[in-house]
Amino acid sequence: MAGMKTATGDYIDSSWELRVFVGEEDPEAESVTLRVTGESHIGGVLLKIVEEIKRKQDWSDHAIWWEQKKQWLLQTHWTLDKYGILADARLFFGPQHRPIILRLPNRRALRLRASFSQPLFQAVAAICRLLSIRHPEELSLLRAPEKKEKKKKDKEPEEELYDLTKVVLAGGVAPALFRGMPAHFSDSAQTEACYHMLSRPQPPPDPALLQRLPRPSSLLDKTQLHSRWLDSSRCLMQQGITAGDMLWLRFKYYSFFDLDPKTDPVRLTQLYEQARWDVLLEETDCTEEEMMVFAALQYHINKLSQSGEVGEPTGTDPGLDDLDAALNNLEVKLEGSAATDVLDNLTTIPELKDYLRIFRPRKLTLKGYRQHWVVFKETTLSYYKSQDEAPGDPIQQLNLKGCEVVPDVNVSGQKFCIKLLVPSPEGMSEVYLRCQDEKQYAHWMAGCRLASKGRTMADSSYPSEVQAILAFLSLQRTGGGGSGGHPQGPDAAAEGLNPYGLVAPRFQRKFKAKQLTPRILEAHQNVAQLSLSEAQLRFIQAWQSLPDFGISYIVVRFKGSRKDEILGIANNRLIRIDLAVGDVVKTWRFSNMRQWNVNWDIRQVAIEFDEHINVAFSCVSASCRIVHEYIGGYIFLSTRERARGEELDEDLFLQLTGGHEAF
Amino acid sequence: MGESNEDIDQMFSNLLGEMDLLTQSLGVDTLPPPDPKPPRAEFNYSVGFKDLNESLNALEDQDLDALMADLVADISEAEQRTIQAQKESSQNQRPPASLEMPDFSGAGALGYGANVAAVSVSHYENDLPPPPADPMVDLPPPPPPPKPLSQEEEAAQAKADKIKLALEKLKEAKVKKLVVKVHMNDNSTKSLMVDERQLTRDVLDNLFEKTHCDCNVDWCLYEIYTELQIERIFEDHENVVEVLSDWTRDTENKVLFLEKEEKYAVFKNPQNFYLDNKGKKDGKKDGKETNEKMNAKNKESLLEESFCGSSIIVPELEGALYLKEDGKKSWKRRYFLLRASGIYYVPKGKTKTSRDLACFIQFKNVNIYYGIQCKMRYKAPTDYCFVLKHPQIQKESQYIKYLCCDDARTLNQWVMGIRIAKYGKTLFDNYQRAVERAGLASRWTNLGPASAAPPSTGLKAGTTQANGQIPQAVHSVSAVLEEAQRHAETAKDKKPAFGNHDPGAPRAHQLPKSSLPPPPPVRRSSDVCGSPATVPRAKGPRGGFPAPPDDSLPPPPPPPPLEDDELPPPPPDFNDGPPDFVPPPPPSFAGEAGSQLPPPPPPPPAPAPEAPKPPPVGVKRPPAPPKRKENPGPPGGGGSGEQDFMSDLMKALQKKRGNMS
Repeated sequence: MAGMKTATGDYIDSSWELRVFVGEEDPEAESVTLRVTGESHIGGVLLKIVEEIKRKQDWSDHAIWWEQKKQWLLQTHWTLDKYGILADARLFFGPQHRPIILRLPNRRALRLRASFSQPLFQAVAAICRLLSIRHPEELSLLRAPEKKEKKKKDKEPEEELYDLTKVVLAGGVAPALFRGMPAHFSDSAQTEACYHMLSRPQPPPDPALLQRLPRPSSLLDKTQLHSRWLDSSRCLMQQGITAGDMLWLRFKYYSFFDLDPKTDPVRLTQLYEQARWDVLLEETDCTEEEMMVFAALQYHINKLSQSGEVGEPTGTDPGLDDLDAALNNLEVKLEGSAATDVLDNLTTIPELKDYLRIFRPRKLTLKGYRQHWVVFKETTLSYYKSQDEAPGDPIQQLNLKGCEVVPDVNVSGQKFCIKLLVPSPEGMSEVYLRCQDEKQYAHWMAGCRLASKGRTMADSSYPSEVQAILAFLSLQRTGGGGSGGHPQGPDAAAEGLNPYGLVAPRFQRKFKAKQLTPRILEAHQNVAQLSLSEAQLRFIQAWQSLPDFGISYIVVRFKGSRKDEILGIANNRLIRIDLAVGDVVKTWRFSNMRQWNVNWDIRQVAIEFDEHINVAFSCVSASCRIVHEYIGGYIFLSTRERARGEELDEDLFLQLTGGHEAF
Repeated sequence: MGESNEDIDQMFSNLLGEMDLLTQSLGVDTLPPPDPKPPRAEFNYSVGFKDLNESLNALEDQDLDALMADLVADISEAEQRTIQAQKESSQNQRPPASLEMPDFSGAGALGYGANVAAVSVSHYENDLPPPPADPMVDLPPPPPPPKPLSQEEEAAQAKADKIKLALEKLKEAKVKKLVVKVHMNDNSTKSLMVDERQLTRDVLDNLFEKTHCDCNVDWCLYEIYTELQIERIFEDHENVVEVLSDWTRDTENKVLFLEKEEKYAVFKNPQNFYLDNKGKKDGKKDGKETNEKMNAKNKESLLEESFCGSSIIVPELEGALYLKEDGKKSWKRRYFLLRASGIYYVPKGKTKTSRDLACFIQFKNVNIYYGIQCKMRYKAPTDYCFVLKHPQIQKESQYIKYLCCDDARTLNQWVMGIRIAKYGKTLFDNYQRAVERAGLASRWTNLGPASAAPPSTGLKAGTTQANGQIPQAVHSVSAVLEEAQRHAETAKDKKPAFGNHDPGAPRAHQLPKSSLPPPPPVRRSSDVCGSPATVPRAKGPRGGFPAPPDDSLPPPPPPPPLEDDELPPPPPDFNDGPPDFVPPPPPSFAGEAGSQLPPPPPPPPAPAPEAPKPPPVGVKRPPAPPKRKENPGPPGGGGSGEQDFMSDLMKALQKKRGNMS
């Protein structure tokens, strides 16, 4: 061992003193001084340190961090010489896992321990394993944006912070399910709550908050986010992250592999949340019609998750099961005495008959609504002058199959109209039905909707459809006048929902709430039958089919060009975009790419495509490492396949995305 | 002919035997009083003919035969189902619903089968009282498990609801048939029977059968609106009867059977649709060259990317088109954009960013058609027009939208783009199936004349909504999974190849440049994933021979000996028989009908098909059995006062026979 001395106290070997601070990088930290030689192994040094500290504690997670070189000394069999450590090295003996605060895609904050010593790629994989998100390669961490000087001090209420720092995950093994959640979440009520937060969609945000949150107003704004991605091949420590820092966890690569509602509740929900915020904050633009679909899906998802109908229908096809049961039951019934009555009851399709006011817009007529006796049977609407004439020929008969049903409702004005666009060989005929009250409206409306799909009121979904319409009307009554001022707790009931929380702020300006509600309702009828995960999937799919979906923007300067331009990176292509106008100038597909190189010195990325097309640009808004990593990452993701399921070819990822960067 | 007459007799006796069995099984049940009300009027309806007689007379002998074969098949099918249903319902009595039931399991098949039975019976047995209105009662109720009363009270409501649901579903499954006149390439026509459940794909398969064409993927059913001068390709997943029932009775519309390369153009040359815009911007020449050069591998990866992801990609399409103004013959130029959610235009003075776009039309309620000779008729700027209208609209109307493109290429891009946006992944699935079918056909021509591909029962039809629009999310999940599964399979095969590349690559992004065709980075990666792209795989090792499940072509086995309880299921599809299969006369006198008409030679309970063979074995052309002549006359005494389809059919058949002999 190092430190042999003569009787006079002179050291006779070539040993020297090494000072190691204990704890995280804190200049005030206590330190121990060891006598070492260049031949000493790191493992031996670690042992000595622990001896010196003379404290009983689990030191297994501790390792030495070399501050000047920004390097962990993790190879315990290496000698100090091999690392090149001399007496002037500032070394810290600290834990490799430290707490950070993670801002999840659903915007909730979560404290957990992350590895500060492994490459970020592995650290994210570990985090995702803890959160039970499959395919961690699609996610990464971003630095939180720097807070602008706080104008309104302590305005923001203290938010709930979930804590998973105490949870330890057995290494290597996929967490088993226990009580419907990964076993490590079921330890305490707290962690259970945390799992619910992760796996269930959050209620819609407060519209006022939505107004306040920063939204990109130009392409240039959209580039800012992408300058904050952390480097996957280096560890958190090397990137200047300290314990307790806030980091964002986001899906970085827009290529979602094998989304499976059954095995992926957390992943699906977080992806949905990211998509939802992306749409609400106008990161990805959409049209008005598309926004109404998004709003309707959010409303529907929120309703389902509030009502606790999280469980997916088991069994293959509920319809078939029902039928099975029904047949059994029928046999039972037939045995019984009242067979014919029962059958009669069951075979008759419910009808609606009532006096309604009908209006048929025609050229050159000023006639308004006129009262008629209306009979709605199967999918056909017939109307008569009065009830007495009902057995005879109706004035008109309309088969609603394939028709368009548009609500025209104003609750405060007590106007409950149904606009029908009924197709016929001659064209579409327009008919308005005016109902007296909500209840009547809900019944007729539900009937019309089913009929337009070719179903009758005997359909099992009829009662729920009626209920849904009533619920929506009450929503309009309560949320109708709201300008978005009411703060909304997380457990606000679905009924009191403000439609402004479901759409991007520009629609808050464009529409009044009472205009918005019927449009959302209209879009809702197409999605009302979806289950929670189906609705989330539908949302994600609709998001994916937006033309601007999944493009990461970065300001670059192309070689030979005098102005800045935008480079858009999508999962299959690179796009050169005019900065000022936003027009696509040129697109290159990854499938035509032969190679790409990064010149770290001049911060230039050079790409060669088929047919000797060469492109080079320097990166302005983000480091070229981020561009490089995006390209390599997408190439990596395209190599994934199901057969290799769980195991991730980390080396390949790091090969494709890593690289030297001059310090 | 003589041979077939002999066949006829044999078939006839078989048929009678089966009918008898069927009625027996019905007899066991408690038959409710016959329901007098709804005679199935729709059955008389035939498309492309002015009236039913014409349509029946138009049926060629061969077709008639096939028609009869169809009907016979229905009976045997129905019988099989009924029996299966019985079995299952008894199975269902056991408390734990067994999950490993065969394919037909579940009440869906059961109810369906029962229903078929009801329908076909009604058509064949004119003299019998109409079938029970409620097919459910065809099921012999096996003894129900005794249930405590208290439970029943509680569950009564739930039960009632469920039964309601069941009945509703059964009603939905009413089977309707149309006789359709299809115009062929050579100006001839063929008439064929299309059943309500058949999809375009099934009808095409039928037509392949009849025409002995090469079965390539371009063959399609094509509808022409003579009056509106618009036309379109039937999508393979569309329900033919549903489409045709939107036509008016006196319609001049036609159905054609022809090759259209536009049908699946996107899958043959995806680059023309997905990469075209970019090509154009480089200058036309350049773009075209690269497009034509695109190799098969790149096409595959492009297709996979566009259609096999978790959501399909609609081609980016935008440009100035002419829009016909409502009710006028003037055309206005506007800038249109295609998105997955519909067609949008840029309002005056606005930009083409998403937030400024105004919605022109969404696809849920419209179909897309090609406009023909719009230049002449509507003074369109060019003849490259497409038309969007609700399928039910048959006359000129302001609700029909006409758009006009500058050239044919643009027109094809828009029409295909809209189809992709409207039908989504289904289009791709259709194509894959068509490719499989084409590959199969070429295989079979080598082996001998293909026998009929049985129409799949169209179980898929359930997934389509009113207008053929596919609810995306719902089924795409499974579709995607399926796709991924197959993907994985092929990928597994390729794995070694990947391994070879891998260790060599020193630094991923600096690729080895040594070999002449250097493996580009993406290629390298796509060795694993991209290259075994899905489409042509069907043709390849995997899809080559194995027939799609419902295309299996078993030789029609002789009718199995009939026993009371256990019936071996009849051959999957009876109408599969040899093309020159001669139909037996309809069994309109089976069972109780015997009182009015003498039973045909074979006695009703025909245990073995051979036994009742009529004596004239050696004689090639036996005289038609006497009662055949008697039968067609009276349209059946039953409750139905209207003209009966079956008797008409018989008449026509008779006529033909008479002419021959």
